Amino acid sequence: MKKILALVLAGALCLGLLAGCTSGKPTETDPPAPAKTDPPTTQTDAPDEPQELTGTLKVSMWDLTADAIFSSVIKAFEDANPGVTIEPIDIPSADYGTKLSVMLNGGSDVDVFWVKDADTIYPIANRGQMADMSSYISRDGLDLGIYNGQAEDFNIDGKQIGMPFRTDYYVLFYNKDIFDAAGVDYPSNDMTWAEFEELAKKVTMGEGVDKKYGAFFHTWQACIQNWAVQDGQHTIMATDYSFFKPYYEMVLRMQNDDKTCMDYGTVKTANLHYSGVFSDGSVALMPMGTWFAATMIDKINKGESSVNWGIATLPHPDNVEAGYTVGATTPICINAASPNQDLAWEFVKFVCGAEGAAAVAAQGGVPALLDNDTLKALTSVDGYPEGALEALQVKNIVRDRPVADKVSEVNQMLGEQHSLIMLGESDLDTVLADMGEQSKSIQG
Amino acid sequence: MLNKIPTWRKVLLYAALILICAVTLLPLVWMLSASLKLDKDVFRIPIEWIPSDPAWSNYQRIWEQVPMLRFTFNTFKVTIITTIIQVFTCSFAAYGFAKCQFKGRNLLFLLYVATIAVPWQVYMLPQYTMMNNVFHMVDTHAVLILLHSFDAFGVFLLRQFCMGIPNELLEAARIDGLSEYGIYRRIVLPQMGPSIATLVIFTFVSNWNDFMGPMIYLNSTELKTVQLGIRMFMGQYSTEYGLIMAASVVSLIPVIIVFLIFQKQFVQGIATSGLKG
Amino acid sequence: MAVKETAGRKAPAAPKGGGMTLRRRRTLVGLSFITPNFVGFFVLNLIPILFALLLCFNKWDGYNPMKFVGLDNFKYIFTHKVFQQAVIKTVIFTVFSVGITMLLSLGLAVLINQKLKGIGIFRTAIFFPYVASVVAVAAVWQMLFQKDMGLINEILRALGVADPPGWFASTKWALPAVIVVNIWKNMGYYMIIYLAALQDIPTSLVEAGMIDGANAWQRFWRIKWPLLRNATFFVAMMLTINSFKSFDLIYALTEGGPGTATTLLSQYIYNQSFVSWDYGRASAAAMVLFAIVAVITLFQFRLEKKFSE
Repeated sequence: MKKILALVLAGALCLGLLAGCTSGKPTETDPPAPAKTDPPTTQTDAPDEPQELTGTLKVSMWDLTADAIFSSVIKAFEDANPGVTIEPIDIPSADYGTKLSVMLNGGSDVDVFWVKDADTIYPIANRGQMADMSSYISRDGLDLGIYNGQAEDFNIDGKQIGMPFRTDYYVLFYNKDIFDAAGVDYPSNDMTWAEFEELAKKVTMGEGVDKKYGAFFHTWQACIQNWAVQDGQHTIMATDYSFFKPYYEMVLRMQNDDKTCMDYGTVKTANLHYSGVFSDGSVALMPMGTWFAATMIDKINKGESSVNWGIATLPHPDNVEAGYTVGATTPICINAASPNQDLAWEFVKFVCGAEGAAAVAAQGGVPALLDNDTLKALTSVDGYPEGALEALQVKNIVRDRPVADKVSEVNQMLGEQHSLIMLGESDLDTVLADMGEQSKSIQG
Repeated sequence: MLNKIPTWRKVLLYAALILICAVTLLPLVWMLSASLKLDKDVFRIPIEWIPSDPAWSNYQRIWEQVPMLRFTFNTFKVTIITTIIQVFTCSFAAYGFAKCQFKGRNLLFLLYVATIAVPWQVYMLPQYTMMNNVFHMVDTHAVLILLHSFDAFGVFLLRQFCMGIPNELLEAARIDGLSEYGIYRRIVLPQMGPSIATLVIFTFVSNWNDFMGPMIYLNSTELKTVQLGIRMFMGQYSTEYGLIMAASVVSLIPVIIVFLIFQKQFVQGIATSGLKG
Repeated sequence: MAVKETAGRKAPAAPKGGGMTLRRRRTLVGLSFITPNFVGFFVLNLIPILFALLLCFNKWDGYNPMKFVGLDNFKYIFTHKVFQQAVIKTVIFTVFSVGITMLLSLGLAVLINQKLKGIGIFRTAIFFPYVASVVAVAAVWQMLFQKDMGLINEILRALGVADPPGWFASTKWALPAVIVVNIWKNMGYYMIIYLAALQDIPTSLVEAGMIDGANAWQRFWRIKWPLLRNATFFVAMMLTINSFKSFDLIYALTEGGPGTATTLLSQYIYNQSFVSWDYGRASAAAMVLFAIVAVITLFQFRLEKKFSE
């Protein structure tokens, strides 16, 4: 009796397993196979006549709930095209690159995706997973010049694999309260890094827990190495990193001798986040990306911070003028394996166009399509400090991580070495030489 | 039954236990304290263990800001089904590996154990590709259940405990006319109480806390699990640590309850003597 | 199914020297126990794992057709400085983690295997580090190990250590600190396994020992310890494998730094898979890990056999 029962149980489990496998197939909404040749039935190739768009697009992004930018551009698109449904795939931001690549490699049916980290663009494009949009661009007569050269970053071997959606670049955030208390003039929009170092000395005050630091560099390698590539003469894909030296020397001087900026080891091991340090008023000057403005406004609105803050243009090296800064552009791309290429393009065109840009700016983000009107609209968002419009004017944005092969490996290596310098675990010259060696071996 | 423990030893025991627990419970205390703070105060040193102005609203906001209730339900569903399948199939296989003699048994077992040594980083992509292209199961709960139900770990664990059951006992049962299935059901299963409790605890915990599986396999918000929900408070530019800790504290409750229930299996002195049979 | 069923039913009645039929029947019965789990295991885990391991002889970006490259991937990783260091560090990490965790978890299990009021609470408390979220665990230990104001250095200073180490901010001390946290997090888990194993020891044996006048220490080593053999084998194996595969906790604590001070083998594999997109190299590194674990496993299997004879 028992053995029959046991056998039945075993059999049932086997069958259950098999059933589970087979029944999985038809219940899913996935198309049976990635049929590239099968465009959405209602889609026509007549772009000249305004045609009602219909269909469903799967779009992947990060922080959908935390960051209003993605949801607002999607809403704007759906409002303009009521026949289209956007199915968002919301991925935790820290793991975005991993999941996106697994999805693309594993043959997922995602149609459109944003790329979060600049260093993951090239590998995805190189695997042939980003559709070339050139034919759509020429068909629709789109002028890529309006993106101030940002579109060219996503042109690899003549293929336009991505469109610039959002731009972020480094500016200088400052705490007006500390400047007022020290009786020092607010930082100007034209300042060299040497002047910045001097200014930080003037606004460092107090001792112990109440100490106000003149400057704050976050623990990312970008917060030092970026200033070395700011002049556009070098990129992080070098094999000789001696151009990093003056900037490391500056920050080490500030950290160890003048004590005008917080110690890297403390920031790192105490898990200090730049937004916390700035918003509770412990630092006077902080070079940080434009994204931080939205965070700051949010903190003040929520009552988590009462800092009276301002924005200035990023300090610049001696050999270039003010307005040269470092940044990154977030592209939006079409999955080369997507069966909905035409509709996907309409979405991409929309979010990177004027309406998309307006939606981004309305949420405090800097759209890649940035003209003076958009900038004005952006800086007039409630909570932006006065003078922001002038401070955000830039002449040139150097890519912090170029779109090239092996960028992610070199970047990873630079990050490892960065911590050795900043913790004083190794001598600067030794580390810089080692960086060069490792970069050479990575780049082959 | 063992003799009653003398009082002085009891005092000593309690003292040692309290000391140990002080060290192991430190993060719980910190989590509780952080869950009642604003983000800006979470990492402040020296640690303020008892927040002066507790932000109780954190415990309300976690349900409002993301669909945490839905996520909790999903996690329960996946975890419970997985645990049930795992306990059944693993105890079955464990008996086969430990007490049935057949050719190729040890080789097959070695294969099981060997796969535990392969890190997920290398086979995650092939597995995903198979699940997506062959079974079309991406973005379902079934995929999570299937992936975690046939772990080699559970077989290994139960097999080790099964080995300890004296063969004399099984032989006696065979002579009494019980089939192998009967032996499994009447003799082996009742003997394996503590080890099955162990497997239930481990399976429940690892599935409840799993982040990577749901992260890779789930796309739709309505299918997501608690661990994915907690990550929703962790953005690219800002992380709401107060909310993360509040959600983590809440998500610990089911795990603690399961542990408290199943650890009751570990009671000194009730283990029936195998030899007495 | 039907064949197996009749075979099973006949089992007790069959004469002992049944020869082929007996052996065959035993095989079938044995397989019938294993099949439900094996089918799932084979299809869902074994196939992808075998596929992944075969990648070590190929160059593959995860998407486009792979290219056979022979032993190139092994040549690359064996000459790669970061890989060599990762192997050495992983071995150090594993030796300390396995040794200390085994001792502590066994000690805790014996301590907690008592009939005391509220023992369930204590067990839960000791198991707690294992279930606690990695984010919280990392945050707490980073604060405890903090260089200037952390609790651990305050204690060290009070004990007269003038210049305590920077722990996670030091290339020398980061690995020991990571090992401490790893042991702390996992000891409760292995304690449970020992606790379950202690339950299986027949009380009659222990009582017999008491009558013989053996003290607690002797009773433990003479009676209980030999009976914990299967559990010890399991704990040693799982600890070794899990230490070799350790990833999440270390990543949350140090991200492999400072520099590459705490970059262990699994982090290296992760970087090859998801930073360099080179599945061939990742697979080759995994093969090395696999080979090390396999050798240790075989060795432990030998020991297990030797002791059970």
